[in-house]
Amino acid sequence: MPILPKTNDLGFFEIRLESIGGLGANLAGKMLAEAGVLGLGLNGSNFSTYGSEKKGTPVKSFIRFCEPDVEIRAHSPIEQPHVIGVFHEALYKTVDVVSGLVPDGIVVVNSTRDFADIRRDLRLKYGTLAVVDALGIAVEEKTKVNTAMLGALFRVCDFLDPEAMKEVIRKTFSKKYPHLVESNIRTFERGYREVRFQTYVAPEDARGKTFTRPEPLLGYETQEIGGVIVANGNSVFKNLSGSRQGFLPRWEAEKCIHCVACDNVCPDFCFVWEEGVDKKGRKQMFLTGIDYQYCKGCLKCVEACPTDALIAEREVLGFAEQNSVKHKFPFAAGGMNEWRC
Amino acid sequence: MAMLEEKTGMASKAEQETAFASGNEMAALAAAQINYHIMGYFPITPSTEIAQLLDQMKLRGEHSIQLIPADGEHGSAGICYGASIMGARVLNATSANGLMYMLEQLPVQSGTRFPMVLNLVTRSISGPLDIHGDHSDLYFALNTGWVILLARTPQAVYDMNIMALKIAEHADVRLPVIVAYDGFFTSHQKRKVRHFKDRSVVQSFIGERPTNFPNAADPKKPITIGAHMNGDDLINNNYQQSEALYRAQEVFKQVAREYAALSGREYPVLDLYRMEDAEVALFLLNSAAETAKDVVDKLRAKGIKAGVISPNMIRPFPAEEIRSALKQVKALLIGERADSYGAHGPNMTHEVKSALQEDKENKTIVLSRVFGVGGKDFYAEDAEAFFQMAIEAMEKGCAKKPFDYFGHVPGRPEKRQTPVMEPMHGDAFKTGLIQVTPDGKTKRLKVKIPPLRALTAKPKRLAPGHGACPGCGIFPGLELFFKGIEGDIAVLFQTGCAYVVSAAYPYSSHKQTMVHNLFQNGAATLSGMVEAFFEMKRRGELHVSDDVTFVMVTGDGGMDIGMGSAIGTALRNHKLIIIEYDNEGYMNTGSQMSYSTPMGHMTSTTGVGKTQRGKAFHHKDTPQIMAATNIPYVFTGTEAFPQDLVKKAAKAQWYARHEGTVYGKLLITCPLNWKSEERYGEQILKAAVESCFFPLYEVERGKTTITYDPEEKNRRIPLSEWLKYMGKTKHLLKEENRDLLLELEQEVERRWRMLKAKHEHPYL
Repeated sequence: MPILPKTNDLGFFEIRLESIGGLGANLAGKMLAEAGVLGLGLNGSNFSTYGSEKKGTPVKSFIRFCEPDVEIRAHSPIEQPHVIGVFHEALYKTVDVVSGLVPDGIVVVNSTRDFADIRRDLRLKYGTLAVVDALGIAVEEKTKVNTAMLGALFRVCDFLDPEAMKEVIRKTFSKKYPHLVESNIRTFERGYREVRFQTYVAPEDARGKTFTRPEPLLGYETQEIGGVIVANGNSVFKNLSGSRQGFLPRWEAEKCIHCVACDNVCPDFCFVWEEGVDKKGRKQMFLTGIDYQYCKGCLKCVEACPTDALIAEREVLGFAEQNSVKHKFPFAAGGMNEWRC
Repeated sequence: MAMLEEKTGMASKAEQETAFASGNEMAALAAAQINYHIMGYFPITPSTEIAQLLDQMKLRGEHSIQLIPADGEHGSAGICYGASIMGARVLNATSANGLMYMLEQLPVQSGTRFPMVLNLVTRSISGPLDIHGDHSDLYFALNTGWVILLARTPQAVYDMNIMALKIAEHADVRLPVIVAYDGFFTSHQKRKVRHFKDRSVVQSFIGERPTNFPNAADPKKPITIGAHMNGDDLINNNYQQSEALYRAQEVFKQVAREYAALSGREYPVLDLYRMEDAEVALFLLNSAAETAKDVVDKLRAKGIKAGVISPNMIRPFPAEEIRSALKQVKALLIGERADSYGAHGPNMTHEVKSALQEDKENKTIVLSRVFGVGGKDFYAEDAEAFFQMAIEAMEKGCAKKPFDYFGHVPGRPEKRQTPVMEPMHGDAFKTGLIQVTPDGKTKRLKVKIPPLRALTAKPKRLAPGHGACPGCGIFPGLELFFKGIEGDIAVLFQTGCAYVVSAAYPYSSHKQTMVHNLFQNGAATLSGMVEAFFEMKRRGELHVSDDVTFVMVTGDGGMDIGMGSAIGTALRNHKLIIIEYDNEGYMNTGSQMSYSTPMGHMTSTTGVGKTQRGKAFHHKDTPQIMAATNIPYVFTGTEAFPQDLVKKAAKAQWYARHEGTVYGKLLITCPLNWKSEERYGEQILKAAVESCFFPLYEVERGKTTITYDPEEKNRRIPLSEWLKYMGKTKHLLKEENRDLLLELEQEVERRWRMLKAKHEHPYL
């Protein structure tokens, strides 16, 4: 009897986790894979996108399972997974998180929103959408998002044994953090239990989500020799708002004394200043707002502010877009539009 | 992978366990089971994990290897050489530029015939830095006289590491051995693996440490190691080494046979996959060969006689085996993850071709393709494309294009990069609000700065959109420093977080010209830039303003490996500023200890447990080292005291323009690896200053001045008030570590008192 419900040409059941650095998707991937390999005796492999990715930047974790007698020789990233776990909902804005999903695949999303909204944003035609408020659970239990997501993923991968996973959690935490055992078990169980499903049945001839291997913007005929960049400052076209993990600073202009304390400590140059005239008619610099495109939500500015003009707030979808004050960069005429996100 | 235990049907003699582990984990496990005496190392991606894992295993009492963090790879190779000379068992691990930096030492190790094992986790060596996998580093090792074994899978990494030491120490060989495996593909991908349960199995397989060879440990047998020679003698030394290296193949076969009997896993010199009647074949090193095997199965199902050759050993090169494997092959494609530029094919191409040249009957058409450099993925489709090229050559009876690249793209002309912003220079960065005037009497500078609010009119030197972690302290520190600098800058960033997150091709967060060079050499590079600039100006060839300040930006890691270069630059007194952002560790490679890590602090190579309580020795006092070079200006600063920092920057600029080298250290937070809350960055730095861990001071023309004295202001706090903010120091506040905390406090106090004395006394 095969253990795996379905497999691809090479005999693999494949899972891809989409996250940002710091949420623990890497560890969740490892634990999922171990549950299959060491727990059920499957063959498997697990790895993540590598590099010097920093906290808050998009990362992927990959899990391949196959029956014990199948050899795993592929090293390449998973392009057409059976299951996708989205740990950070805002990712869909910058990453095609459901790329390559098979027609009857399952996407588990960490979200509080309705099925219809998520389906629209992910542009998901067919397959099963599984939604779990992993962040909510983690906040309530004072644990981490990845354990709640792991619970939901175990529900989806019903060939895995959730009891064995709880044992692993118990063992992992009891060594160093015995007081965290119960809350983590609860987090896992709640993720398992609270995940909700909606299936959009694929017609017989349905094709999975297409996937594309991104080509580099530049090639050997268009790269400057030696890897030189001539578009200095083009990182301003990047959008880093996906790095925020639920919080951002809100600025109240009337309380601001323009003391620069926020600007002095901001790692991401989010504060926008403009020359104006003060009450006595003298030229003076004034803070005009926050460019949220670059704000990673570290909240150092909130701590630095001496007057409560900056307040930490749970981010509501759309707030940053509506309240962003954009930097005025001296853009060159004819500068490449393709660079803009 | 070699045959699985079940398939060989051999009853293995030793008990084994199943694990799910990566190549680096298996290298560390093998090392722990062998229980080497010494590992000298320096962190570099993707090999670094091995030292980190061994540190963790040591805390758990799983081995007793002395792990020695060197000041760079050159130093690590020196440590290893020294240890091997004593007759100890020695391990090292490195990648890419790390191998290049120690390259000089490798022929010394082999030519004086001291065995050791080096795990080479292969990674790209290139101009534009690339931290991902290819074989360009491995190819530089081909001429070093080391035995080179290859490991295609995490399982093979474990097995080869055990065999490697036995081969290295064999009386017929007595040479160091490299075990090379693919960076990330093999080093970081977890697979199902088997390993011996009991380390005594491993140790008895390798045998006792040989003591019947020359070593430096026994005063009763005095010897001279490393005398110099002339050609008449060297030719004989080289001949001995050459013969020993060739003998290593026979020894490998013998060791692999014994190992197969013990483990059930076989490693022939050449891994041949369905080659018995193959007409078309691929020759690939390491992980890519595995991917190609799936394609062979597919092609065989269609009736195409395809196969894959992948060597388990390339030094000595298995020429005879290759000749015999290729007897019937009509077309062979050699895919290589590196080039030998200008040689009409990379190294393996030439070695395979030269092996075939000695077979007069051989008619194999050989194609050569450079592919998958810098971690570029190798998909099954790519292997299929390779086979298609070989099939085409077989059908045509010739190779249309014997050598080419594969996977390169021309790019679209309309996407060519053009400047996106109007260049900002000169007056754009001049506010005229900062005044620096020399005081004739005191020989020191007087600085006047406006309220910092006014300086927001000056654009930041860096553009937003960089990829630093949330709450990273690097950029606020650097920008406050740059606020005090008027006019143009030319900056050189040494390798480190600030560089990596601000210059990820094709993006740049730099508004003015930025140069990167490897972090052991940035100061020397900037010296060259400065001198060339002024020499070309002097000759009237350069028609730009000379109002440029040259700045090198480095982390504390760059001031370890690059200390020599920085001191040389300071002694030559070039007109430039070296600015160090100190986050007390090698954060870019994953929080390994640096020499700036304070005693007792936890890092990924200085874990906290029963056998070890964080870093074992005190933090490096870099400002004092630099002050001892007698450069005109040395300072410390942090974002928590912005006016202080801006003033010092203005002074730094004046000295770098008029007199010579300036060095400044900024303490900055790394919330990720300090395990501190992002939002408290500024408070943490303030506490570091007010606890006198990080005194704010300057050394101006030899005169020390404390610029903020927390005692005078009645704001001094105990060291624990700083330590309590960080997860990496939490253990220091526990009762059981009181002695350790006391030791750190005493050192902080001693250095503070010394500074006070210097502050008070003009001659100190």
